[in-house]
Amino acid sequence: MIEDLAEAARARGEVDGGTAPDPVNAPMVRHWLEAMGDPAAHYLDEGLAPPAMLQVWTMPGHGGGPRPSAVDTVLAGLDAHGFTGVVATDCTQAYDRPLRFGETPRAATAFTSLRGPKSTAMGRGYFLTWETTWYCGDERVGTMTFRVLKFDPATRPEPRPPEDGAQQPPPPPPPSTGDTAFFWDGAAAGELRIRRCADCGTLRHPPGPLCPACRSAAADHVVASGRGTVHSYTVHHHPPVPGRTAPFAVALVDLPEGVRVVGGVTGADPADVHVGMAVRADFARGGAEPPRWRPADQAVLPALELELTRTSITAQALATRDFTPVHHDPGRARAQGARDVFLNILTTQGLVQRYATTHRPGARVRRIAVRLGAPAHAGDTLVLTGTDRPREGRVEVRGTTALGRHVTATVDVVDVEDR
Amino acid sequence: MKAVIAGIGATEFSKDSGRSEARLAADAALDALADAGIAPEEVDGMATFTMDPTSEIALARAIGAGALRFFTRVPYGGGAACGAVAQAAMAVSSGAADTVLVYRAFNERSGRRYGRAVAQDGGTPTTLALELGWHVPAGLATPASWAALPARRYMHEHGATGEDFGRVAVQMRANAATNPRAWFHGRPITLEEHQASRWVAEPLRLLDCCQESDGGVALVVVGAARARSLPRPPAVIEAAAQGSGAGQLTMVDFYRDDIAALPEMAAVAERLWADSGLGPWDMDAAVLYDHFTPYVLMQLEALGYCKRGQAPALVADGRIGPGGDLPVNPHGGQLGEAYIHGMNGIAEAVRQIRGTAANQVPGAAHVLVTAGTGVPTSGLVLGAYS
Repeated sequence: MIEDLAEAARARGEVDGGTAPDPVNAPMVRHWLEAMGDPAAHYLDEGLAPPAMLQVWTMPGHGGGPRPSAVDTVLAGLDAHGFTGVVATDCTQAYDRPLRFGETPRAATAFTSLRGPKSTAMGRGYFLTWETTWYCGDERVGTMTFRVLKFDPATRPEPRPPEDGAQQPPPPPPPSTGDTAFFWDGAAAGELRIRRCADCGTLRHPPGPLCPACRSAAADHVVASGRGTVHSYTVHHHPPVPGRTAPFAVALVDLPEGVRVVGGVTGADPADVHVGMAVRADFARGGAEPPRWRPADQAVLPALELELTRTSITAQALATRDFTPVHHDPGRARAQGARDVFLNILTTQGLVQRYATTHRPGARVRRIAVRLGAPAHAGDTLVLTGTDRPREGRVEVRGTTALGRHVTATVDVVDVEDR
Repeated sequence: MKAVIAGIGATEFSKDSGRSEARLAADAALDALADAGIAPEEVDGMATFTMDPTSEIALARAIGAGALRFFTRVPYGGGAACGAVAQAAMAVSSGAADTVLVYRAFNERSGRRYGRAVAQDGGTPTTLALELGWHVPAGLATPASWAALPARRYMHEHGATGEDFGRVAVQMRANAATNPRAWFHGRPITLEEHQASRWVAEPLRLLDCCQESDGGVALVVVGAARARSLPRPPAVIEAAAQGSGAGQLTMVDFYRDDIAALPEMAAVAERLWADSGLGPWDMDAAVLYDHFTPYVLMQLEALGYCKRGQAPALVADGRIGPGGDLPVNPHGGQLGEAYIHGMNGIAEAVRQIRGTAANQVPGAAHVLVTAGTGVPTSGLVLGAYS
């Protein structure tokens, strides 16, 4: 029955959702940049819309009424079968080119797939995917793949401990004695410290109480450059390891200082780790574990903390022309089980773009893919962190609140000279 | 005076023994003593692993042994296996004891599974806990992950592949398939099945890793002077050795120049050949510790069977199979028979010497046995009594 609706929706192909009520224009761009706190003035100078505004132009607005869509019949069918809950899980926007002031884009949706029923943490449900395409005239200017879970709230399972080691209690701090405490103090302070014999200067790791070369107990340490080369590694899959989500890589690294140090690998697909890989130490975990190893060409971006308020969330919802009550009306948000008003998806995309492009000034955004997690409410602090992977032309962004992960995103960029 | 292994005993090998580890130890001990024709009251010495949960005095009480004159434990996990026999032989040779029971028994599948991630606890750490403490917080928390780093480096240096590891597993499972005592009796595997088995810790797949077993094995060591009065042929301990390498750590031995080799096993081999007056190719069979397949390759090199990096070719040529010039683990090893921390391999070597093994190597007169790798280890050369 639901499958029949999905098949019929798919058979309709692209459904025209109509053109934007206004052409791309400076006031809306300025308003949007202000709401996002995005200092990128070059959009206004160049007469271009920020890419993450793509969907804003064709939002129905307040009182505009729903626009025709290929998805409506499937959503209604799922509601009728008890799958009344909905949560967006993924959204990927790809931008063929920037929209210019004066252009009036048109949107069309096509239903892509229905998968289910599946047992999820929210209950039994179906994943629906659809694709929206924006055109200026006949020219495609951007696309969006959107995935939601429609679930039956009555079937929500009791939480159970998953096989994921990251869900288990974290391991206790590393064991340490007077012979080794300097190393962990260094890790907490962002230094990779190597024990040095204070008499003959020989370095040793892992450090014992005496210098194996001259038997001296006198010792200090050097701070390693943090650079290194992978001597060997493993990608761990099974069994679960507390505090980790498999698969994860761990590397044994040769330091130019002449010793080896083991640490987890961060910022690299485990499949890309290899013997001989150039890495550098990353101390984000403090003293709870040895420094992790990150591909040498990556940069960790400074964190950005955003205090979310009802005003900021409401301003952003309106700047993205999203008048869904949960984004501006605390009473309606609470009635739906939320703690307070919370960020809408278009704003999450905008903040991700702001964060990524702040560190790549002038770079052109080609694609933003977000995976959505816990909501970010008024009163929360949203902390954005990220990694710049220039070789892949990609900035990875994570946003977390006290509730956990709000968003995991990748932003594909090309540098301005490549435009 | 030389020492001999007069009796061997074991429980069944299972995934859920249904009884206590002390009971497994006692069952294996009585089985070994019956095999040797020696009464429990005659036991006056004990040797086991530091990891064994059953104390010497608890086992002595359980089997009704008398007063003990000698007891010792050997550290470093499975590296202890042949070392416990070596210390029993020294006790017998020195007169410290006359009848030494060597035992190892655990519920390693239904109880504490060694394949799981280790948990580090608080308190003042031992030096061994400190060694692990450089690795467990980094995510190296399982034996397979510790074995994976030397294995990956071995591949890098010698061009070995996952199929080279797989051929070891295929041979062990083929041997186990015709050994009724083996857990994997009647269940051989193909190289394709090995290659399709899931990753555990790359480059190790599930079928590169030995099983987890419940069970116990015991051995009775006495002086050679008693050999003539024994009901069954004993195996003479022609040489026994323990060894560690320079700068060694246990299971996380990643800090010496060459991590894709086993210098501690080479040191053990040097002693074995010197003390026995025999060489690698004088062995009619070898029982090599096979908790992870890559270590079988590295052992063949450390023991002198081939040059560095050439073990994959030796295995691919079928030379470790039945009818090859070095049959390895005719019982199926720990990959195929059971994982009793190397002790079931010593029992297999005794059966080969006696001529009573399920997959008997015809006329086996000298058999090499090794203990755990990646740790300070040990080895034995056993021979026929004449």
